Amino acid sequence: MGSEHGGTNVNRRGEAPEAVVGPDATTEETSVTEEGTELERTIGLSGGLAIGVGTMIGAGIFVFPGLAAGRAGPAAAGSFAIGAVVALLVALPASELATAMPKSGGGYYYISRALGALPGAVVGISIWLGLVFATAFYLVGFGNYAAAVLAEAGVPVGGTVVVPLALLFGVLLTGLNLFGTENAAKLQNYVVGLLLAILVLFLGYGGLDALGVFGAASTPERFVPFGAFSMFTTAALVFTSYLGFAQVATVAGDIKRPGRNLPLAMVGSVLVVGTLYVATIFVATSAFGSAALSDFGETAVVEVARAFAGRAGAIAILLAGLLATISSANASILSTSRAVFAVSKDALLPKPASHMNLRYGTPHVALAMAGGPTLVLVALGEVEVLAEVASFLHLIMYGLICVALLTIRRDEPEWYDPNFRVPLYPLVAVPGAVASFGLIAFMQPLSQVVGVAIMLATAGWYKYYASDVSLRGML
Amino acid sequence: MADLSIREPPRVLVPVQVLEGQTLPETLIDFLAPAEVVVLGYHVLPEQTPTEQASLQFGERARAAVDDIAHAFREVGCDVETRVGFTHDRDQTVDRVAADVGATAILLPNPTGDVDRLLVAVRGAIDADRLADLVATLVGEGTQRVTAWGVAPSGSDFDATAAVERVVETLRDRGLAAGRITAETTESARAVADIVDRTDEFDVVVMGESEGTLWSVLFGDEADRVAEGAVAPVLVVRRSSEFDVGADSGSASESASESTSG
Repeated sequence: MGSEHGGTNVNRRGEAPEAVVGPDATTEETSVTEEGTELERTIGLSGGLAIGVGTMIGAGIFVFPGLAAGRAGPAAAGSFAIGAVVALLVALPASELATAMPKSGGGYYYISRALGALPGAVVGISIWLGLVFATAFYLVGFGNYAAAVLAEAGVPVGGTVVVPLALLFGVLLTGLNLFGTENAAKLQNYVVGLLLAILVLFLGYGGLDALGVFGAASTPERFVPFGAFSMFTTAALVFTSYLGFAQVATVAGDIKRPGRNLPLAMVGSVLVVGTLYVATIFVATSAFGSAALSDFGETAVVEVARAFAGRAGAIAILLAGLLATISSANASILSTSRAVFAVSKDALLPKPASHMNLRYGTPHVALAMAGGPTLVLVALGEVEVLAEVASFLHLIMYGLICVALLTIRRDEPEWYDPNFRVPLYPLVAVPGAVASFGLIAFMQPLSQVVGVAIMLATAGWYKYYASDVSLRGML
Repeated sequence: MADLSIREPPRVLVPVQVLEGQTLPETLIDFLAPAEVVVLGYHVLPEQTPTEQASLQFGERARAAVDDIAHAFREVGCDVETRVGFTHDRDQTVDRVAADVGATAILLPNPTGDVDRLLVAVRGAIDADRLADLVATLVGEGTQRVTAWGVAPSGSDFDATAAVERVVETLRDRGLAAGRITAETTESARAVADIVDRTDEFDVVVMGESEGTLWSVLFGDEADRVAEGAVAPVLVVRRSSEFDVGADSGSASESASESTSG
């Protein structure tokens, strides 16, 4: 473990990147390591969709309708549709790269293999931090919903319980992932299933109501009251609610039939979530009109549900919000641990970060690196700014995924053999990259400064710790 | 010579949870030695852990443990292969490897002493040829005694007596002396519990693979449940593809073919 490192492919601790699975060793059901150990692929299409939908649906669907309707009127539905299109522009290149490299690590993996170790390290390490910020945001969202549910159920608690509830639940989720055996990931599927059921019920009823099946049809208001430009700026605001589809790729190594299921899960989850968002806005603006919605602000959807079904409706929607934050927080904790594993396997972080505990079979160091900082951030507050920084870091990754596709396609390496190829790829990847980087311009200056600072810090870490590690083209 | 009439050399898949410290009793290794053995060392991970991560850290340890077991098999002259796998789903991995290596039976390990008494539990349509190939190869010209026991609820479509008769007949065809075989039939609605209760009289249990009934989906495979309660290891005979199709050779008795449809 000498501290010297010459031109060799090792970091400051003398660790080299480890190739676990060779490029040709992937079948539909397994990956085979160089020693011949078989790694079973056990997550099917529905599991992949649950990860994508569960990560994305988060708090956005409940928080944004009021805000977006205030800015764009009923055209906010168009804003969510634009967001979905941008997400698809990134999901398609990500799908192609994922089928060519069905390895755990997702976006980080493609960027480091196509563009090199420095961009890889910046994305990989900053996504770890970005996910920590996002998890903290979801946990505080959970605290808010839990307090609202209690209040609605007749237990008036002030805002003081929000942070303690968020902390308690953060500890619970981290503990479940650390010690829970098979059920922590299954929980995700149940939570997402129940959440979708509530939403479909709500939207189904609301949709029929808006079309005039029950009573009179609501009076349509002007669709684009604030001009077309407002629809685009609002799209930038609500794009946050699409962050997460690329998380599907972080479990690529465990997905069955990756050539088919990865693209379907990524593109499918964007379509499912996009449809739900657009329908929610449609129902919400039909029920109340955008001015009223805007006045309700962050609780707009709750008021819509109350108008449909009284207190029971309000509680049902609050429960859905609770489930959404649980699923997003849980999915993010899992993704964080996988992000840490991916970079530490490549010697960009010390190897012990990826150690797992044989007794529980869980990556305890990485999970602690996910849960620990999250709890500190929740306790300190200020999670809203951090949530935007998380979006900033995700967008950098999305943009670079598109750049990675362009780079790799222009001069295809021999090993590059994706099952799925993006048709007319420059027409997808170029707008994808432009849109991803462009959305960053709409963010608060503070988030931009913090985001850039984090990227510089990670680049500095790479220069200090692992400047001799090279990853381009290493499979 | 018994061996001359073996149709299909039996191949036994032996899944072992090596990282949980699971081992095989020496007596069981001796008993299985006449068959071809595939040792599958596996480790089940919770879904939040990537299999890659586990193999990176524990792959070597798992391989070493599997090699130790394989070495013990080789010592007693057994033809042995090894596989190592990390998974989130034990059954998926065992089934895949079993199909991959063309295993005729899967061992569900349990502690046992010297193997003198075998129980062949006949619970439904069973591939008698495959079963006989396996049992005859394993007990060969030894002194072990085999009890073929049909257990079925009263009034069921399954003719347990006929099925047991067919098993006994096929075993004799493979050269097993009649004196070493006992045939029994019991009517019982709680077969798994009855089989478990009797396992202390026997050293190894041989059973057929359950059919994919609703019951087995809800409560687990019958053989798994027997293995869980039993004090003896269980050998599960896999259905061969030709048996599944029902295009078996004309030797299948009427009662056996009836029971496949029931």
